Amino acid sequence: MIEKMDTLLQRICVDGRLAKLAVSETGFIFDPQTGQSFTLNQTGLLALDLLKRGNSLEMTAQYMSDEYEVTMDVASSSLEAFLYQLGRYL
Amino acid sequence: MNNNHKVSVWEPPFIQPHRVGAINKFGNRGAKENVMREIFGVSIDDLVDQFGSPVFVTSEHQLRMNVRKIRRVFERRYNQVIHGWSYKTNYTGAICRILHQEGSWAEVVSAFEYEKARSLGVPGNRIIFNGPHKSKAILERAIAEGAYLQADHMDELKMIEQIASEQDRIVKIGIRINFDTGFTEPWSRFGFNLESGQANEAVKRISMSPHVRLTGLHSHIGTFIMEPRAYGEQVKTMCRFMRDLDDIDHINIDTLDIGGGFPSKNALQRVYLPPDQAVPDINEYADAVCDALVEETRYLEQSGRALPRLIIESGRAIVDDAQVLITSVVGTKRLPDGRRAAILDAGTNLLFTSYWYNHQVQMTREPGGVYEDTVLYGPLCMNIDVVRQSIQMPPLVYGDRLVVSPVGAYNNTQWLQFIEYRPNVVLVHEDTNVSVIRRAENLAVMNAQDEMPAHLSYRTMADEGSLPSGKTTREHLIRR
Repeated sequence: MIEKMDTLLQRICVDGRLAKLAVSETGFIFDPQTGQSFTLNQTGLLALDLLKRGNSLEMTAQYMSDEYEVTMDVASSSLEAFLYQLGRYL
Repeated sequence: MNNNHKVSVWEPPFIQPHRVGAINKFGNRGAKENVMREIFGVSIDDLVDQFGSPVFVTSEHQLRMNVRKIRRVFERRYNQVIHGWSYKTNYTGAICRILHQEGSWAEVVSAFEYEKARSLGVPGNRIIFNGPHKSKAILERAIAEGAYLQADHMDELKMIEQIASEQDRIVKIGIRINFDTGFTEPWSRFGFNLESGQANEAVKRISMSPHVRLTGLHSHIGTFIMEPRAYGEQVKTMCRFMRDLDDIDHINIDTLDIGGGFPSKNALQRVYLPPDQAVPDINEYADAVCDALVEETRYLEQSGRALPRLIIESGRAIVDDAQVLITSVVGTKRLPDGRRAAILDAGTNLLFTSYWYNHQVQMTREPGGVYEDTVLYGPLCMNIDVVRQSIQMPPLVYGDRLVVSPVGAYNNTQWLQFIEYRPNVVLVHEDTNVSVIRRAENLAVMNAQDEMPAHLSYRTMADEGSLPSGKTTREHLIRR
């Protein structure tokens, strides 16, 4: 599953979509390629920030697990669902 | 990595696409972000710890202030005002008794409500008896006890006449009339219609009876009326009919009952403005009613005759903001369309008024995270069990306590007994002591009305084998 997720992450990152997103501190996102805008919640903002900086899924999940004091399972599965969402919109 | 992202509440990461038209002028924030840790001077956590969740919390102080205010604003403008407490709005005994202490009469609409008022010590001659269904038995009692009856239809008039004759009394009554004020949808199903002549027929019928005397007119133009001028028109129409009766039939009307329908500071669905802006002050209603009344009864005053007494039957405007519901989050989820959702331990079973109000919902802890469009569901296995279809809320977690308000009108009377026990209703006294005024239901309450036929009377399924034939119930019945 992690492999599949990594592939998805790679797809989003390869053409620079993640890097091109304009993200405000409050979680407002503008995608210059499609003109669409989005809102991230606080954990989404953190996850996107970590992924944009090149962290792996596992490292991102670990960071979130530590930051919010939730189990690694909870953080990983939530991150997986989040990545699917990103894949759908980007 | 900075710590700007850190919030106290975990919520799965989520990205919400913006859609055209989805953002309103109020932005992406909750209308009420102030955190409520106390209600009516008592800690919310203490209330839940002591009385459980959900729990209805009622303020004695607010109730007394509300009824005093409505009496004051009307009495300042007109001399003879009676407030009839509308039992159907909230007939919890302690609430009724507080209002009776304040001088309100009981306004009842059924045998149950009549009996309840009497059980609370209200004398018959301080009960206004309305409604389309008054059985012969309860009419006999009400007439014997001197209640003020307002007749709804011709069959009821006949029955009152018959009882009065049997008891050899002359019964003074009012009749309910309906008509078009031009402001509200006419409630033509109640009472005698004025425009079509039904009201005149009722008057003639009463005039012919030696046992019934017409002394009052009653009308009720609707509910949650946000246009005070509607009451002005109502009073004018009633007064002109009263004058016609005086001039033509020499009938002296001494009571005008304008019903209720004054709004509370609740938010009706499909009303754009918030209640503070949309709902007129009670003084505007008193102006509309009393200006018309003084104007239309000037001829009586000029000829030195007594003015009719004015009855108002306001319920909602008195009790609604005197009660809140504390409820707890029992689950959270994301809906397939991306909206945030929470399941509460109180739904439309307790908040029947959720079907037409957007109740205010407040947090009891500091909110963390981004406000989003959220659906608040109740605990029922029904798709329509929705407390708020759309409200801006921060991330909610299991155990969060929310305060829903105002809920004092029509919930403790219209609530549903469907799959859940109804919870405690408590009263915060003027000294902030708290007591239960309606106990939470339990299995014993729920089973109390059940009766079990003898052939089904076994305690457990295992006992089923001890039937006379030694067979199971099914075999026993088949062989018999």
